[in-house]
Amino acid sequence: MTRTSVCLFLMTLIAGSLSHAAELTEAEFRALHAKLQPDVSAMWRSIPWRATVLSAQQAAAQQQKPIFIWAMDGHPLGCT
Amino acid sequence: MIDRESTFADPGVVELLKTRTIPVAIDQWNQRRQKDSEGEFYRKIARQGPRHDFENGTTQGLYLAAPDGTFLGYTNNRDPRKVRQMLETGFSIYRPGPTAVLNVEKVDARFNAKPPEGGLVVRVCAKVLGGYDEPTTQYEEIFQTALSRDNLWITADEHQTLVSGRFSDSLAQRIALFHLVDNTRGEPPFWKSSEVMARSFTLHDSVITGSVELKTQDGQRSYSAVMRGHITVTDRQITAFDLVVSGTFSGHGPYTGRAPEQPFPLAISFTLADGTDIADTLPPQAGRGWLGDYLK
Repeated sequence: MTRTSVCLFLMTLIAGSLSHAAELTEAEFRALHAKLQPDVSAMWRSIPWRATVLSAQQAAAQQQKPIFIWAMDGHPLGCT
Repeated sequence: MIDRESTFADPGVVELLKTRTIPVAIDQWNQRRQKDSEGEFYRKIARQGPRHDFENGTTQGLYLAAPDGTFLGYTNNRDPRKVRQMLETGFSIYRPGPTAVLNVEKVDARFNAKPPEGGLVVRVCAKVLGGYDEPTTQYEEIFQTALSRDNLWITADEHQTLVSGRFSDSLAQRIALFHLVDNTRGEPPFWKSSEVMARSFTLHDSVITGSVELKTQDGQRSYSAVMRGHITVTDRQITAFDLVVSGTFSGHGPYTGRAPEQPFPLAISFTLADGTDIADTLPPQAGRGWLGDYLK
């Protein structure tokens, strides 16, 4: 499916949603499910994030490197 | 979200983090409260920075610290140039040397929730499909095109109910209350039971269909949507759980401002997690600090 046809299809879905469509068709489900998947090639994903500060400390002590902490309200790897 | 698409989309920042640091990502709401080894070490670092009111205020930001917890730098600016500058300054201060590895001596169970044994973890992603005005800044565009991420936890009983061909009421209610939200611009408000006007989740021949009507009492926030999906069962285990909920959302919460002014299309996908993403290990946002209400 080309980028243009995907856009047209999604616009059709939007129009359908705004008119309170009675159901989601199989084709609409498949298109939306594919569209709503994270980009696995996003650059931030190439960073080897750890999920706890202590596990980072253990690696940092062994490799003698500083710890970089990305601290947010809500988990930065998930949530939003 | 902003950070992923700005700071951590900068090749220079990414290279520095990958080669010269041990990077960790946390929800500091937990670490500043945790009464255990993890919380104590985080607070040791954060206490040396500009944000150290652990009771009342956020400590969010980007920190650099030596392995022994010595503070090396902080910024809450998303500009990659500022972040690179903070890192380079910190690297110039840091003196490598032997440091003791800290052991996990205390664990605060409130902040170390694990997925239910025998249950499932399902990835949940939401996206606003239209309705915004033209973005006027790079950051506005990032918010407008954002895809959110959370996890749905399914208990062992709910898992086996799905296997037997039914959608349990508790699972339907959990999805409605905690996962049919617009979390694309920040932490969302969840729904109250009284705000679930109607919900129908039907599983027939492995196909999920249904609809929901959610609305706050003042009518300021609502979501009216339909759904469709599929499950696959292999040897009494769910091996695929694919679902889309799509409909019209209106309103916003205290931390999800700048929503389209008019009702807008919001779609939410559900996909069984396979453990290949580190985010698969995170507890649901609605369960942070207390899973009791989330899993009931």
